Amino acid sequence: MFPKEIEKILLKVQKPGRYTGGELNSVIKDKEKVDLRVAFCFPDTYEIGMSHLGMKILYSLINAREDAWCERVFAPWIDMEEQMRSKGIPLYGLESGEPVKDADVIAFTLMYEMGYTNVLNMLDLAGVALRSEDRPSLTPLVIAGGACVCNFEPMADFVDLTLLGDGEEVLNEVLDLIKIHKQKGSSKQEFLRQAAKIKGVYVPSLYDVDYNEDFTVKSINARDGAPEKVTKRVVRDLDTMFAPSSFVVPFIDVVHDRTTVEIFRGCIRGCRFCQAGFLYRPLREKSPKVVEDQCRAIYESTGYDEISLCSLSTSDYKGLPELLNSMLDWTIPEKVNVALPSLRVDNFPQDLMEKINAVRKSGLTFAPEAGTQRLRDVINKNITEEEVLTTVARAFSGGWNAVKLYFMIGLPTETEEDIKGIADLAQAVVDEFYKNPDKPKGKSVNVSVSVASLVPKPFTPFQWEPQITPDEIVSRQELLMSFVRSRKISVSKHVPKTSFLEGVFARGDRRLGSVIETAWKNGCKFDGWDDQMKFETWMESFESCGIDPFFYTARKRDFSEVLPWDHMDYGISKQFLMRENEKAYAEQTTPSCREQCAGCGAAKINGGECGEIGKNLV
Amino acid sequence: MKSVRIWFKKAGLAVYISHLDMNRCFSRAVIRARLPLWYTEGFNPKPYLNFLAPLPLGQVGLLEPLDIRIVGEITFEEIKEKLNAVMPQGIEIVNVTEPVMKTAEISAASYKIAVDFSDASLAQKFAEVSSAAVAGGEILAEKRSKRGIKTVNLCEFIKSFEVKSEGDTAEINTVLACGSEKNLNPDLLLQSFYTLCGFEEETRSIARTSLLTADAKVFQ
Repeated sequence: MFPKEIEKILLKVQKPGRYTGGELNSVIKDKEKVDLRVAFCFPDTYEIGMSHLGMKILYSLINAREDAWCERVFAPWIDMEEQMRSKGIPLYGLESGEPVKDADVIAFTLMYEMGYTNVLNMLDLAGVALRSEDRPSLTPLVIAGGACVCNFEPMADFVDLTLLGDGEEVLNEVLDLIKIHKQKGSSKQEFLRQAAKIKGVYVPSLYDVDYNEDFTVKSINARDGAPEKVTKRVVRDLDTMFAPSSFVVPFIDVVHDRTTVEIFRGCIRGCRFCQAGFLYRPLREKSPKVVEDQCRAIYESTGYDEISLCSLSTSDYKGLPELLNSMLDWTIPEKVNVALPSLRVDNFPQDLMEKINAVRKSGLTFAPEAGTQRLRDVINKNITEEEVLTTVARAFSGGWNAVKLYFMIGLPTETEEDIKGIADLAQAVVDEFYKNPDKPKGKSVNVSVSVASLVPKPFTPFQWEPQITPDEIVSRQELLMSFVRSRKISVSKHVPKTSFLEGVFARGDRRLGSVIETAWKNGCKFDGWDDQMKFETWMESFESCGIDPFFYTARKRDFSEVLPWDHMDYGISKQFLMRENEKAYAEQTTPSCREQCAGCGAAKINGGECGEIGKNLV
Repeated sequence: MKSVRIWFKKAGLAVYISHLDMNRCFSRAVIRARLPLWYTEGFNPKPYLNFLAPLPLGQVGLLEPLDIRIVGEITFEEIKEKLNAVMPQGIEIVNVTEPVMKTAEISAASYKIAVDFSDASLAQKFAEVSSAAVAGGEILAEKRSKRGIKTVNLCEFIKSFEVKSEGDTAEINTVLACGSEKNLNPDLLLQSFYTLCGFEEETRSIARTSLLTADAKVFQ
């Protein structure tokens, strides 16, 4: 039964539906009949967390165990936090309404560095000590996973362990081990030493980091039997991998509220700025039949009128025509829309495109990422202006009149000409619309250009590169605006200060832990929200901790430098990343994995298998 | 194609689902139930749904009407069973009928309200002050409408009103104007009573028990 004291504050906050639970397909268990309680925490609002596929998968995975109950927890918005703090209500799980601090495992998923202060805030709201060393008992154990754990050093003091790579397998092994040690009454130290032996588990407290006088890392040494290199886990066969057959259906409107099914993991493209493109290698595909069955099951159990086929580059999926031809046979009559995000339209058959749009017409989005062919070669974004223009021309004649273009600024070797190229390409798209002889009368074209700034990330060929300063971002954004002449083009820009902080933490080290804690104590939270981010407070926190944030962003690192994440093994070899970095400066592209294996090394952690090239690459 | 009137109960934590969210909730439920639905035409086909009398956030509804459109053969009993098998907790289909009356015939609604106080004397004061105010015939309050905020006399919206205190609780049975012509949210009436008593906002539960026509018949 949901606690009365929580119900009393619900009418005092915006969107109480964020805090009630009780949604269709949410899992309620008898707490007396389970051995493990897991509070799965997402360090952002309900609307964002409920859109996150990883959380849905792991929620179902844990709840498929009879001995465990997984609940969802999201960061309460400012108004709810005020109510909870003033009424003394601790952070609670949405399923039971019971305090998170009573769970055995408090698990966070981190997709984005700007969630770090929210992790601390949620632990504090839960009434749990922030630092691992201040939590002497085995439970609650604070664990983390998600893309950010490829370099979680800035948060190393706060978590007990992290899970690298695909959570589907390793999470259950960790839960099994916790259960054993809980029953044995082991100490937290005993448990952590054992856990570190599971492949894919990183226990930060078992590693000593030494620094040079210039604050670069000198060495990272494992203790107590922990492995020198922590290797990420990969699921080898996506067809037999655990996948949810239903989703919790939110009452309130969330960002992505639809059936989402992965079609493959990994990417064959190798865009040099893209962390996901390297972190999730090697490529592993799911069979069309399995994808379709999973879509159907989730559709029937949720009633969602949209299905999204999810991957890093949907049109690279070899089974796409087979899948769509089969699936559209039932989705069209049932008025279910099929969405293909991350679609490269250049190699997509037009008749299929028309069929897909039979129910609801989707938007048209391209990500050229850079304004000139030269710079696109630098970043290895193998898409040409001609391809973009041919495709938009086709789309315009098919009745579209809105196009979204994604670009980045601050890329290595970028010049004024590259920035002008962004405006020129957008203008060329506008011109293409007016060239169309059958263009609908009285209709105008709308080209929205979204400009992010590069945040160099670990495990990419740009991991050694400097990031441009917030002031430089602003001046390049202004330069771009000076080139935009048409009112048909609208430009949206990222907040430079957010990109800067993201950059600091993406390539940060353990010395940043105290900065994050200080900033949180001084009121920083929801840093990913432009209207909440307190940049001055952040800068004061760096200063009071004696840390120069530009050390992490503005410096070009030498290939020989020990990187804070060098003890993490994501399969991608450092030699390969160095090679790619050099090729970037030589303006040389690398063909996709489908054309030619680039020898990235990722297959070795998958038993030598890469779904693209075939078997036995080792 | 024919219209079918669904009568549902909304209670428990489901009371925190807003009217807009109820729309989304039911449009998915009717799909999960695999009812033979009629879809709206146009670029974005959706199952046709019409909530006759939106229920404010945080209030229980015991018998709330919703019209859907069906193509093909299915009995009322089957619709009820299929829907109840797929509804989230807190929402229950009580009955399925022909739509007998038109939406415009909804003119009032009866409510059962309980307001909890920290002790019996406060509950008693609340009961005395509120019943005197209603008897006095004038309770001025600012009311939001489509044309902006204006001051109105809430008594013009009250068809009947009874209040008594039972221990720490004040219990109200009332019939208030409801519908597109004239409508009063019981929370607004409670707010006015709190102000008259000099109280802060109190914990209350409100249940709309039935919808009524102008001549006080139960809406069908």
